[in-house]
Amino acid sequence: MLDDTIIAVSTPLGFGGLGVVRISGHSALPIAKKIFHPKKTRQKIPSRHPVLGYLLDSSSNERFEEAYLTFFPKPHTYTRENLVEISCHGSPVILEEVVRLGIKAGARHANPGEFTLRAYLHGRLDILQAEAINDLITAASFKQAKISFRQLDGSLSKTTTVLRQHIIQLLSQIEASIEFPDEGLSISPKMIAKTLQRAENTVTKLISSYDLGKSLSEGLLLTITGRANVGKSTLFNTLLEKDRAIVTPFPGTTRDYLQETIKIRDALFTLTDMAGIDTPAHPVEKEGIKRGKKLASAGDGILLVFDASRKESHEDLILLEKFQDKKVLLLFNKSDLPVKMDRKKIKHLHKNIPSLTISALKGTNLDRLKEMIFTQFVPTQTGSEEVVLHLRQKLLFEDILSCLKKTKRMLEEGYSEEIYVEEIRKIIPIVGQLTGEIQDEDVLTRIFNRFCVGK
Amino acid sequence: MDYDVIVVGAGHAGCEAAYVASTIGLKTCLVTIHLETIAQMSCNPAIGGLAKGQLVREIDALGGLMGRLADETGIQFRLLNSSRGGAVQAPRAQSDKALYRLTMKKWLEDTPNLTLFQGIVSKILTKSNAAVGIETLDGYKLRSRAVIVTPGTFLNGLIHIGLQSYPAGRANEPPSILLSQNMKSLGLETFRLKTGTPMRLHKNSIDWTGFTPQPGDKIPVPFSYRTKKPLKNRVVCHIGYTNSKTHEIIRQNLSFSPLYGGKITGIGPRYCPSIEDKVVKFPQRHRHQFFLEPEGLDTSEIYVNGLSSSLPLDVQEKLLASIPGLDKAKILRPAYGIEYDAILPTQLLPTLETRSIANLYLAGQINGTSGYEEASAQGLMAGINAALKIQEKSPFILCRNEAYIAVLIDDLISRGIEEPYRLFTSRAEYRLNLRMDNADKRLTEYGYALGLVNSEDYKDYQEKQARLKRVMFFLEKKKFPVENGESISLKDFLKKPEGKWENVIEYVPSDMFLTDEEKRFCESEIKYEGYIKKQEKEIARITKLDGEKIPRGIAYTNVPGLTREVIEKLEISSPRTIGEAKKIPGVTPASIINLHVAISIHRKQKAKNVSRGTQKRNRNQKRK
Repeated sequence: MLDDTIIAVSTPLGFGGLGVVRISGHSALPIAKKIFHPKKTRQKIPSRHPVLGYLLDSSSNERFEEAYLTFFPKPHTYTRENLVEISCHGSPVILEEVVRLGIKAGARHANPGEFTLRAYLHGRLDILQAEAINDLITAASFKQAKISFRQLDGSLSKTTTVLRQHIIQLLSQIEASIEFPDEGLSISPKMIAKTLQRAENTVTKLISSYDLGKSLSEGLLLTITGRANVGKSTLFNTLLEKDRAIVTPFPGTTRDYLQETIKIRDALFTLTDMAGIDTPAHPVEKEGIKRGKKLASAGDGILLVFDASRKESHEDLILLEKFQDKKVLLLFNKSDLPVKMDRKKIKHLHKNIPSLTISALKGTNLDRLKEMIFTQFVPTQTGSEEVVLHLRQKLLFEDILSCLKKTKRMLEEGYSEEIYVEEIRKIIPIVGQLTGEIQDEDVLTRIFNRFCVGK
Repeated sequence: MDYDVIVVGAGHAGCEAAYVASTIGLKTCLVTIHLETIAQMSCNPAIGGLAKGQLVREIDALGGLMGRLADETGIQFRLLNSSRGGAVQAPRAQSDKALYRLTMKKWLEDTPNLTLFQGIVSKILTKSNAAVGIETLDGYKLRSRAVIVTPGTFLNGLIHIGLQSYPAGRANEPPSILLSQNMKSLGLETFRLKTGTPMRLHKNSIDWTGFTPQPGDKIPVPFSYRTKKPLKNRVVCHIGYTNSKTHEIIRQNLSFSPLYGGKITGIGPRYCPSIEDKVVKFPQRHRHQFFLEPEGLDTSEIYVNGLSSSLPLDVQEKLLASIPGLDKAKILRPAYGIEYDAILPTQLLPTLETRSIANLYLAGQINGTSGYEEASAQGLMAGINAALKIQEKSPFILCRNEAYIAVLIDDLISRGIEEPYRLFTSRAEYRLNLRMDNADKRLTEYGYALGLVNSEDYKDYQEKQARLKRVMFFLEKKKFPVENGESISLKDFLKKPEGKWENVIEYVPSDMFLTDEEKRFCESEIKYEGYIKKQEKEIARITKLDGEKIPRGIAYTNVPGLTREVIEKLEISSPRTIGEAKKIPGVTPASIINLHVAISIHRKQKAKNVSRGTQKRNRNQKRK
């Protein structure tokens, strides 16, 4: 139950100049007073004003650290409960001691995310905002932090709310025509289709923004692939700027696959270096190829490497065909050697696949390559600034999209209103799961406000 | 003890309540101010409509009277939404008002165990917070085991025409002022509602040429599953429109409107606004539709559906004069608005018994509803439950997924209301299953078990179900050829939006020919099958959640996110399960979520403690 007072270190683990311990709950202040004494004895603890004092071990009455204490009375706090923050030196030993003493004084160690959970349960945040806070804390890049902050501010909630309003408006129009058949309130299928399309566009945009969100938080999965000995591992090492993969002049050096994360501008990429796609000589290599292929097809994009110092082979072209409908960046490697490959012909055959000539060994065109990786694989955002950062959110938006699409299909196939309206009705609780609010009366309210009905 | 059950008020709720209580076998007395106005249709001369039509069928399936009476006295029948699917089709009929009244009176007079009694009830007699009888204005006392109060708009009724007002329950009928005071003194919280009725015109003073006729259906659809005789349309309704001149007159005279002049404080229904409301709220509209509906066969009165008003009589005359065809219309009865007391329905149990006074049941407009059908449904349920309680049987409570009756009652008692409540199909979560074509399938078994459906009707019902089952099986098995040598089952064909019974009839053997009623059932069952199955799963999931136990001795004050009001309510009712907590009025869905989270956390912690405990024990054992 949430009737107890919780305590935890709020700054990251490790040594830092400053560390903060937070206490939240009904007895936050009494507990804090047991372990903290103001420098000016008898000083009352004011609200929202730091007080200088000492931390002391009550059992030995020994002062062990100088610290600032700030008391935030409820409800205007992060958790909407009484909140105490103790700032002291950022040594893990000291911070842990503060928490230990706090627990001794009656607090309980907070579970992960419990401060945010309390904020949510007290109605301080909606689910989207609660998730955003977690993202803000764990943001891997500044851009992600900015997006998280925007969600905290409620901008995804706002877009979702607008979407909800559109759905409710549509629903109320259809329901009004059903409930009041004598009042000539029918809405044309064309109008319904138009509204559905508009909603679909919004949702599609949000879903596709998930990839951008993912590239910013988890990293996009890129696979380096190509025939044996075209320089995949060299490229892998060059992009990592360290010698991670073993490189030899012999084909089949890389047997298993290797993964490392790199950062280009604001985006994270998880690079996979895999065995060359040729007839494997060794069972381990065979397994490596199998796993690598699986990764390549499941990943977000492919860096396909050709050895430009050799003439193009049949196998090369087959690879190109094979990855046609994936996001591919074609790299003509080994430009430090005389080029024998007919690059023009290949480019002509696959006009839509971007390509670049590089030398992974010498680092030629490396900056251009990073630039191209970014533009080719990081989804560009058009218009909407909202980014869906969570799989949970994405799945819910996908549910909404499937309802919208099904409605549209049923509308086209001539189903009766009361059937396809079931699909639209389903959307409202899904939106509720996104924003955490549930309301039922909205559709009827909307009907009465918009239509003059009633005999 | 004089009676088992006393019903106060013989409107649509009271008649139904008295009928079922006495049919179940209890000695019942129905007390009314005027025996002449039993089952009076105070407003429009029609029964049914969307959601209401389904409600009447449910009342009928349970053995109530309204469906049979509407068929018996109907003079024009229409099936609404006939171009749409079965779930949103509903019957509506114009009734002969006088005939409706007289027939109901006759039927009730002929009902065994039932006594009709004329009197004005001034007081509910109580003993240690339980109703034990009634007292009339002349001091006459009747004792009973249960009292069902169905006073309609009579509780402290106040009629407004223009800025004039006078106490009345209905035009020129005395209101129940003492009873209202009595209800308040019993601790029941009341609030003020408002409704209105349009003027009645003399049919010979109307120039009918200017209006579009709206005839009844070629093949009238009855309300009752038991109606066997063919129904006939005997009258035609007409459609007309107001115009900008009418609206101008209304705007000029708003200061004489009790509503806009601030005299009326009660809340009126948004779905049934007065004409002055329509003009004010929708200034962009240049005309408003109205219907001219005959009030019966032996009367010249025409009901002007859509022009309800509480403007002064001279303004009513002026606005009619602005409408071509009504310019010479003679007003026989003026339109008026009426304010009345209603009881906050959140004070009721799902049986419609009040929480604070045992054996006191309320039904109809007193619970904040509007509409004859809504009243009738509540009367039926209150009558059944009062009888069951006296017989010491468990109450009869329907679920939202099995009847509109349940949607109605559950909405009232758990959500409360702010305006007169009307049922809509969109209020039902499981609309595709709550249909006029399957109300018998949903509810007849209950009606029979309660003793309200006689064995003859029950046999008919069983035969119908058996036949439908056979036909459904046949439709699933029987294939017929479509293009490119392929074939599909008749059922799969009917599932398509364009699939109609007429298209498959040539493949159906003659012993499986269906009535229109049965066709509607089969088509709906087939077309909605996928959705209904999904909904059944969802219902099962919710039922599971509802069954979740709330730990005994839970400290609600420690559950985050609960308001003091909700905590108080939970503490008083101490629900055993989430489902019971949900049913407590004023406990919001959001607080249910918070409660659920708290219980899960509680359980997890308990599990942890238990496992810790076991570990400790194990350790101790090891040490030994």
